[in-house]
Amino acid sequence: MRLSFYPGCSLEGMANDYARSIDAVFRNLGIDLVEIEDWSCCGATAAHSLSQTMSVLLPARNLAAAEKLGHDIVSPCANCFNRLRFSQNMIKKKVFDIPWPVTGDIRVHDMTRFLAEPARIKSIKERILRPLNGLRVVCYYGCQMVRPPKITGYTDYENPQTMDRIAATAGAQVIDWSYKATCCGASVGIARKEIGESLTRRILQKAQQAGAEAIVVSCPLCQSNLDMIQKDRSKRHTPVFYFTELLRLSFAEHVDPKWFKMHFTDPVPLLRAKGLLS
Amino acid sequence: MQNIISDPDQARKHDSGKERKLIGDRGDYFLNRMEGETGANISACYQCERCTNSCPVSHFMDIKPHQVIHYVQLGWREELLKSSTIWICLSCEMCTTYCPNEVDVAEIINHLRNMAAHSSITPKEKSLAVFHQTFLEVLQKSGRVNEFRLMNAYYLKPDILHERIKNKALKEDLLLGITMLRKGRLKLFTPKSRAIKEIKRVYSQTRGEIV
Repeated sequence: MRLSFYPGCSLEGMANDYARSIDAVFRNLGIDLVEIEDWSCCGATAAHSLSQTMSVLLPARNLAAAEKLGHDIVSPCANCFNRLRFSQNMIKKKVFDIPWPVTGDIRVHDMTRFLAEPARIKSIKERILRPLNGLRVVCYYGCQMVRPPKITGYTDYENPQTMDRIAATAGAQVIDWSYKATCCGASVGIARKEIGESLTRRILQKAQQAGAEAIVVSCPLCQSNLDMIQKDRSKRHTPVFYFTELLRLSFAEHVDPKWFKMHFTDPVPLLRAKGLLS
Repeated sequence: MQNIISDPDQARKHDSGKERKLIGDRGDYFLNRMEGETGANISACYQCERCTNSCPVSHFMDIKPHQVIHYVQLGWREELLKSSTIWICLSCEMCTTYCPNEVDVAEIINHLRNMAAHSSITPKEKSLAVFHQTFLEVLQKSGRVNEFRLMNAYYLKPDILHERIKNKALKEDLLLGITMLRKGRLKLFTPKSRAIKEIKRVYSQTRGEIV
């Protein structure tokens, strides 16, 4: 099986560990990821805030490049996924001049939903060597991946289940909680830090109250927000994993603690305590 | 019959000393324009405040989301473009998702933000507006956005450095940057997209340059 891969800017910088874990997991599952050759930024919040035209055109270029390759697109980043889908929607309305040949008919998957399809869950199950027994986690989806449902196609947008299913397949104990799809405030996180922090802190607090030992995410910005806010807190550490990191952990024969060296909140002590790291 | 005032100038002065505006041509025009451009059924709003109650940042806003819709209905364009609301909005789409009448509130706020960016009105949340602008400038230079380059460019914008020294953000950013660098999370150089030329063309076209 072959898919076009649209990594997004964060995976080259801040979320390089996410990129590496995705690579390992898909290799193991035997799914080929072909990086869209000359991909460019989707424009994120900035583009749609300042100019709708740009928010349609920037992803459209990537869609056009992917249509040339002909495979479905899979996007690991929630915002990239949302912007690609939005752009497709607008392309079909035919109200923008798109300088590239693009129909908008190609399928755009977000990575969690792609891996949570029954067939994929089955092949994940077959490859698990190290079940994450006893690891209590909550899954945090954030806003861009599930909302607005008309764009993202999620029907269970209030209580999404894709990552829960994957984490449970990997053997973790998944806890239900109420803040799955609450925004972490990433779009104002730099310019108006206090707003971003107040939102992130509440999510972290609620995850801890629910009894989670770790948070599982799929968006680079959710991860960095939830992870970095704990930098000065010596009280209680709740590591924030990408869901592919957990999969990589449960697939691997030998686990290297270096995989987690980009985390601010070191997950190694927790994994040691659970007997997942020797 | 006494209460009906036919002269608009008189009506504005009516009641309180504060200048009031009437629903007239201007109001209808703005409402129609907004409905046409966003495709949202703004007239369907019956002010149930579900948008405001679902909004995670409504307490940071000066005009609450349900009021935004009401203001659009009344044609109060200037008040909206001058508000902090349009910049504070996170685009998390809670309001749109939970509106019982399917009014696309987030899209309306986003469209107002677009309008404000293309108007001469100084944005109330300048730091946010400048951040978005900087993001696009960095984007068009290399086709992709590098976090390190973005933060550098942001600090070089007028007034931003001063503001961030004052609210102690500079110190935090520096410490965070050093830790990120140590952990390998901050990449000073990342590859550029090979499609820079096309990106640049899109950027200049959107800004109204003829290419």
